[in-house]
Amino acid sequence: MVMLEVKGLCKSFDSNRVLNDISFKVDKGEVVAIIGPSGSGKSTLLRCLTLLEKVDQGTIIVAGDVMVQTNKEGHAVYAPESSLKKIRLRMGMVFQDFNLFPHFSVLRNITEAPVRVARISQDQAEERAMELLRKMGLEDKRDAYPYQLSGGQSQRVAIARALAMNPDILFFDEPTSALDPELTGEVLRVMRALAAERMTMVVVTHEMGFAREVADRVIFMDKGQIVEEGRPEVVLCNPSSERTRAFIKGLSEH
Amino acid sequence: MSYDWEGFVNLIVLLLEGAKVSVMVFFLTLFFAIPLGLLVAFGRMSRFRLISGPIKIYILLMRGTPLILQIALVYFGPYYLLPEGMKINLDRFVAAVAACTLNYAAYFAEIYRGGIQSIPKGQYEAAAVPGFSKIQTFMHIILPQVVKRILPPMGNEIITLVKDTALVQTIGISELFRVATVQASAKSSTIPLAAAGIFYLIMNWVVTEALQMAENKLNYYR
Ligand SMILES: Nc1ncnc2c1ncn2[C@@H]1O[C@H](COP(=O)(O)OP(=O)(O)OP(=O)(O)O)[C@@H](O)[C@H]1O
Ligand SMILES: [Mg+2]
Repeated sequence: MVMLEVKGLCKSFDSNRVLNDISFKVDKGEVVAIIGPSGSGKSTLLRCLTLLEKVDQGTIIVAGDVMVQTNKEGHAVYAPESSLKKIRLRMGMVFQDFNLFPHFSVLRNITEAPVRVARISQDQAEERAMELLRKMGLEDKRDAYPYQLSGGQSQRVAIARALAMNPDILFFDEPTSALDPELTGEVLRVMRALAAERMTMVVVTHEMGFAREVADRVIFMDKGQIVEEGRPEVVLCNPSSERTRAFIKGLSEH
Repeated sequence: MSYDWEGFVNLIVLLLEGAKVSVMVFFLTLFFAIPLGLLVAFGRMSRFRLISGPIKIYILLMRGTPLILQIALVYFGPYYLLPEGMKINLDRFVAAVAACTLNYAAYFAEIYRGGIQSIPKGQYEAAAVPGFSKIQTFMHIILPQVVKRILPPMGNEIITLVKDTALVQTIGISELFRVATVQASAKSSTIPLAAAGIFYLIMNWVVTEALQMAENKLNYYR
């Protein structure tokens, strides 16, 4: 089953074309890693997919529901807000700098959207939140506030927060880039566990080790385009494009 | 010769009556200016120039001219501006509260705007992805954080307002300071003025304590 289908996606900021004819698919249960140099449009792509940014052209279909399509005149036409609402419920996003709500406890960070948006009862939401916190190894932090957490703990709470809405697909934008190196492991471990449970994930990452071990597929982006796409061992170890090779060589030099 | 205690008690009673008027101007101004300021802040941040433009001019006028002049204008203005036959006399007290409200809403609006714009974009995005509505996002995610951030500058303004209530005497309202000056000249004494000073000080001590309590209450997070 195709969980996400993107066709001919284009996005410009003023005259700066940031995404140029992006097409790819993500199957249910698949983990796709997106890599590429800074400014290549990876974040913008995720922001378009999660409705934080509107595309100029292209089609996005989430689990069979059309989010946006291009009409005959070549303009993007979004589904009505009622459908978008439904589509939003299927997607979760984990940000580079966590974006936890500082005025809510850890527990409330996780229950707020289920209670307010999905209209789940407080008790049920809390039960689910505790289950997720246990899974993240953070049950003792339920009453803590975000300022009392380390980066790695914050990011795991953010992952729990995204999972609390039971999304069908989870997007990660460089989830470990804001972390001290010794803290990336605990976040990657949680993501590995999710992958093992066949959670559908699209992960923008600089962690080549993670991409190699966990991703089913790697997409290399440069200058707003998908340059290369395929099995991680191919794209990362034996890329066919010169640009990919240069990028990966550059990474391993640091 | 013994001290005129009866006169002193009379003075205190008079001052208390004046203070009551001051306190009423103070609370009514806050009551109206705190929400009005939020509307003004939204208008100021509007994408539409047709809204943000006039609001900018309004804020400039309110912050750029003396409050005492605004009070006089709101009170006398309608009388002179309206055509013959439609002239109305605004109630002094209503005019005073209206002028103070308009003035303070402008200051509050700029404080709110600063507070709202200081909230990182990521907070809006973290709310938008799971589908919080714009209103939910503002009321539950943004506003509580804004309140914490603007409390200190709002405290400054609120303390200034306690003292600014003295300006409403310009349209003949017998508030605390007016009463004190009248008594001072009648008795050729500075005691009424000193006593009025103590009254203001007490009011602002209460305000300061209340603000401190509010700050402490919001100290549970950073
Ligand atoms: N809101 C915006 N307005 C204008 N230009 C933008 C905006 N957001 C992104 N851009 C531009 O779009 C391009 C792609 O940015 P994007 O953040 O998607 O890159 P990225 O691949 O995520 O980079 P990084 O690895 O540094 O996070 C950049 O040139 C950036 O300057
Ligand atoms: Mg990015």
